[in-house]
Order: sequence, then C-alpha cells, then structure tokens
Amino acid sequence: MAVTSPPVRTKSKFDPTPYLFVIGPLLLYLVWIIGPMFYSFYLSVTDWDGISPDAKYIGLANFETLFGSLGKRRTSPFEYALVNNLKWLLTFITIPVAMGLGLAIVLNQNVKGDRFFKVGIFLPQVLSLPVIGLIWAWVYNPRDGFINPLLTSLGIADPPSWLSDKELVIWAVILAAAWRQIGYIMILYVAGLKNVDIRLLEAARLDGANAWQAFRHITFPLLAPVTTIVVVISVIDSLRSFDLVWIMTKGGPANSSTVLAVLMYIQAFNNYKMGLGAATAVVLFMISLVFIVGYLWRIMKDEMEY
Amino acid sequence: MSNFSKKFAVLFVIATLALIAAQCGGPTPTPITIVETVEVEVEKEVKVVETVEVVVEKEVTVIETVEVEVATEGEKVVEVVRPIIYNSYNSDPEPRAFDEKMVALFNERNPDTPLDHSVVQHEDFKQAIRAYLVADPAPDVMTWFAGNRGRFFIDRGLIMDISDVWEEEGWNEDYPKGFRAMSEVDGKAYFLPSNWYWWAVFYRKSIFEEHGITPPETWDEMLTACDTLDGAGIIPITIGTKYRWTAAAWFDYINMRLNGPEFHLNLMLGNETYDDPRLKAVFMKWQELFDHKCFIDDAAAYSWQEAIDPLAQGDAAMYLMGQFIMDSVPDDVAEDMDFFRFPIIDPDMPIGEDAPTDGYFMSVNANNADGGKSFLRFMGGVESQTMMVEELGRLPVHTGVDEALFTPMQQKGLELIRGTDLVVQFFDRDTTPEMADVGMNGMMDFWADPYDEEMLDEIILDLEATRAEIFDSE
Repeated sequence: MAVTSPPVRTKSKFDPTPYLFVIGPLLLYLVWIIGPMFYSFYLSVTDWDGISPDAKYIGLANFETLFGSLGKRRTSPFEYALVNNLKWLLTFITIPVAMGLGLAIVLNQNVKGDRFFKVGIFLPQVLSLPVIGLIWAWVYNPRDGFINPLLTSLGIADPPSWLSDKELVIWAVILAAAWRQIGYIMILYVAGLKNVDIRLLEAARLDGANAWQAFRHITFPLLAPVTTIVVVISVIDSLRSFDLVWIMTKGGPANSSTVLAVLMYIQAFNNYKMGLGAATAVVLFMISLVFIVGYLWRIMKDEMEY
Repeated sequence: MSNFSKKFAVLFVIATLALIAAQCGGPTPTPITIVETVEVEVEKEVKVVETVEVVVEKEVTVIETVEVEVATEGEKVVEVVRPIIYNSYNSDPEPRAFDEKMVALFNERNPDTPLDHSVVQHEDFKQAIRAYLVADPAPDVMTWFAGNRGRFFIDRGLIMDISDVWEEEGWNEDYPKGFRAMSEVDGKAYFLPSNWYWWAVFYRKSIFEEHGITPPETWDEMLTACDTLDGAGIIPITIGTKYRWTAAAWFDYINMRLNGPEFHLNLMLGNETYDDPRLKAVFMKWQELFDHKCFIDDAAAYSWQEAIDPLAQGDAAMYLMGQFIMDSVPDDVAEDMDFFRFPIIDPDMPIGEDAPTDGYFMSVNANNADGGKSFLRFMGGVESQTMMVEELGRLPVHTGVDEALFTPMQQKGLELIRGTDLVVQFFDRDTTPEMADVGMNGMMDFWADPYDEEMLDEIILDLEATRAEIFDSE
C-alpha cells in the first residue's frame, strides 16, 4: 500500500493524527484552565462563602457592588485596584520596554564588558518575586533601609516615606517590579538585534542616514516581532501582579497599593466572599481579554499580509 | 502519513490518557503514612506448633485453634496506623520551639499513635484554615482562636464536638467557667482553650525613669507623657501598622475606655451601629494622640515586629501590644521592659481588656478522631499547661497549674485581668472577618490623615453600610 501512494498529499482525506496528538494536552487544558474559568463565571453570580454546601444565585449583584463603589470621595478598594492595575500596565509597556531596548542597543555595540553588564542587568530576573519584594521592602524601610538613611546623610531632612505614603506607595512597588523586568526585556531585544542584518544598516549609512534615522526606519521596524512579544509579556505581567504587593505592603496603607489580584484574594480567602472575589476575577479576565484579543487580531492580520 | 506513525500516535494518546487516569486515581495530597506493615506468617506457624504441643489432651480445642490459624496464615496481616495530623500556626520562634517540644514529647510517650506536625506561617494559616477544614481527610487537630473566628466554623458544622473529652478529663470543673463558656455553642464544647495573654502598654523602664515619667494612669497623663518624650527627641509610641491589626488595638481600647466594654462588644456583634455618635467620639479621642505627636512616623511602613526595633534601640518608649511582644524583644532589653494598663479615659466606665485566647479544635472530618482527642487530652492536662507557663510565659487556662510558678510579669498580667469587668478577645476575633477587614481599612484611612473630617464621616458611613449588610440580613 505504501509503495503506490501518490507523492502529493490529497486534502480530501481526513487525517486524525494531529488531533490525536492534541487530545492529551487539550484534556488537561479543559480540566485545569477552561473548567475553572467557567466555574469562576458561575461563582461570580452567587454569594458563596467558600464553605457552605450551596451557593445562592444573586444575579449581577456582585458586579453592582464593585462598580457601584467607583467614584466616591473615599476611594474604594476596587477603584484603587483598578486604577493601580492600569498604572502598572501603562508604566510597564512604556518605561521598562524603552529602557530594555535602549540597554540592548547600547550593549549590542561591542561595548567593553558587555557580557558583564548583560548578566548583571538580567540577574534580578532569576530571583523569585517574593525575594524581590523582601529586598525592596527593606530598601524602602524608612529607619533601617537603604534609600532614606542615604538621603538623610546627604542632607535631605524629610525624605518621603515610600511605603506608607498613599500616593507614592504604588509607584514604589512598580519601580521594584520594573527593576526586575528591564533585564528580561533587554535580553529579548538583544536576541532580536542579532537578527537585524548588518548590511542593511551599512547601506543606510552609505545613503547618509544618521544613527537615529537608521534606528527609526530600519532597526525598530525589523524588531517589530520582538516588540509585539515584549508588549504582550509586559501586559500579562502587569495584570497578574500579586506577589510584590502582597509581600511589600499587603495592599496598604488603606488599600492604596492594592491590585485586582490582591483584592480578589482578600475578598475570597480573608472575607469569605467567594462570589465577590470571583466577580473581581472576572473583571480582571475581561481586561486581559481586551489585550489578548487585540494581540491575536493583530497577529492574524499580519499573517494574512505575508 | 504512514501506518507506523499512526500506530505511534494512538499509542501516545493511550499513554497520555493512562497517565491522566493514574493521576486522578492517585493518592490525595494529605499524607497518609503507612507506619507498620507487619507480615507475621512465620511467627504464627511457630505458635501453632506450640499450641498443639501444649494442649495435647484437649484435641477438639487444638483442632479449632489450628483451623483458625490456618485461615489467617495465607493473608498478610497489614496494620495501618494513621498518624494524627496536627497543623499549627505557631510560627514565631519561641512558640514554635515549644510546640515542637510538646509534639516530640507526645510522640515519645505514644509510639503507637504518631503525630504528624506541620507549622504554617501565622498570617497564612488564617487563610489556609478553610481549605484544611473542607479537605477530606482534614487535619485532625488545628490551632485556632476563641470568639467569632471559631464560631464561624462551628456554625457551619465543620468542627468536632469534644464535650466527651471535657467531661472525661474533668475540665468542666478544672477550667474557669468563662473559658468553658467561650468554648461552647448550645451546651456542647467545640474548642479547647490553651493559653491566653493580656494586652497592655509595654514600655522601657529606663526611658521613663530618665525623663521622670511614671506609668500614665489617665488619658491626660498619657498625653503629657507623649509631650515630655517628644520634647526629648524620643518617639513616645512605636507601632507598625502594615498588617493593620496593631491599630485595631487602639480602637478597641479607646472605645472600651470611652464608651464602656459593653458597648464595644455589642458593636463587634453588630448590635450597635457604627453611625452612633459615640463612635465618632472614639476617633476624635484618637486624634488627640496625633495632636500630641504620640505615634512614630510612617507606621504603615513597618510590620509589627519591625516596629519593635526603635523600642529595642531605645529610640521609642512605648508599644501597645500583647504579652507576646516579649518573645521578640532581645533578652537584655526584656529586663528593662514593663507594662501598664491602658489609661483610663472615663473613670465611671467599667474596665474592659483585650485578652485573646488561643487553643485547639478538631475537624469534624478528622480521620483519626481518637488520636486527635488523645492529643487534646495531653495538651489540656496540668502537665502540658505547666510547661507552657514555664517555657512560653503565656497564662494557662487550667486551674491546676501552680501559681507560684508565675514570673512577676505573669503575676502582674493576671492581676490586670482579674481587676477587669469584661474581657474581650480582640477586634478581628470578636467580629466577622469581613467587618474586621473593612473596619481596619477604615482605621488605616483615618491614620493616613487623622484630621480629614469629611473622610472620617465617609469611613463611618462605609463601616455602617458593611455592618448592616452583614448583621441585619441574618
């Protein structure tokens, strides 16, 4: 039979092989990802306390509680969480990305000791987030920490109290997260830069392009696939932020540094309100969905163009 | 695609499915250790021979014996001993050491019923407890708190009735009535109180002496002390509010001293409303402490332990805290520490104190109920209670413990509580977890700007809305 089979594959015959390969992972995916996801949706319309055997259907009351708390003079925990997640996201897709790209370009120019710098800048990435949280909580400690005693010794009389200032605290936490993120993004861009054809840049230089023009019109467009990945990673990392906030501030003072994931945890596991926690999770899911759909849409459009 | 690769694919899928099935049917995560697997075939054969020899005259009996033995001969006699699973939140060094010592002692005395002990960090344990209680098999014995925190689980039928242990051990008589009362619901005992501690203002004797301060007995004396210390460049009161509950102690005490412990307890139980003008008065009184610069700056930046540093270094003078602060103070500083009763605000009011009680309870799903109960018997007995006094400095519940063993500080703590009209547990133990969460958030908002009166009104509105939602629907 195999001897006479035609060399060209016919499309008419259904070949189940790829699907058989997929079944295993798909089952796991259904059980561990899709199933719990729909279960969260279900929980978000109940008032389940996490223990009682039955949960009462309460419609969209949980969502009304969440969104009804927006815009009050005394900022509600949900509003803090929503705004902080947004601050985190916007910061993450701009500052660490720009800095990572800048470092990658600088260190790609055969600088002396570039490996040392690359390793040094990447190193925070190998630390687990709780460790980073503990380090930075100490760095910010007003009495025994690193920054404030330094500022005091430099003659600054009243340095800011980083983690107990309601306005400042979330930025202090984001800074710690960005510190970790920069090295990662740098490495991604360093890898991307290796694929940029040096002859294109030489040709541009011969045509009289300056460094900025070469970057703007050649390097950066060629790095577009890397940039897409970097942005997606940054969005995901910023939306799932939990560890740093939990370790450094527990969301405080007075919820001013909370994020959706922390709020969800407190509602579900501290306040015994699984329904409300699930509703918060659904909101977080929806925000993620906007970005993921946007990303997929872009990818598919690009693929069709090529 | 060739036949070969199809076969391979099918094989691969089957293998994957088998793996998943194996995972599903595998052991549950809770450890069930098989401690003894005894195969006694050989010994029994010998025994049979002996039996025959000895009982030669009674042939009938011999035959019966032999038959019985033969029947069991082919089977392996497997004896599975389930360990007693004990989860505790005693994660600070000193309580942990004591806990481990008691477990070791129990295991030494009861080699047949081994105890499997795991310690979970205190804050994490509070979250994990629900997972423990609904797990099957659940841990047998767990550390927990008296008051509302325990009641929540008892009401949901998750806690085992241990009235029989109380009865058999004679604890109904040996334990003070108040402790029996806090352990029971509808006449059944669910909780075993083990130790309790008092709250007070702990202070550095040397700093007070140096600045000529005597322990303040009234509110005005307290404010004066703050002024004196602040003027001398000493932080009057240190506090770390990162985990919020340290601030709740101030709320508890100002409310009890100003409005009486009865009002405070009713507020915790949801019977009084938060928009009561008496409540705003509490915050206004609290504000006076900020007027007099009593508190350390940036309190929210520190955990409660981190806030001990300035006290230990001699930069701060006082800390409102439970007796367990002494576990975390260096030894040389501990000699310089003493405490005084939270100052009286209204001398006509009865006196209330926070005296949280910790203890044990058992899961209703306990796999090894008998083992768990025997551990409770051990921990609740005079011997264990005496050891706890000697090694941990907490106050015991069992009246059989010799009071002569108490250190002067313990004696003083006991005096403090005996002179009290009403003992409550603590803010986040007396009310529901959600109410406590919203309440402590309110305190943190207040702390961030104690002079923002509009904010205070909003805080109080939010507190009352939460209270109404939780308690009025019941």
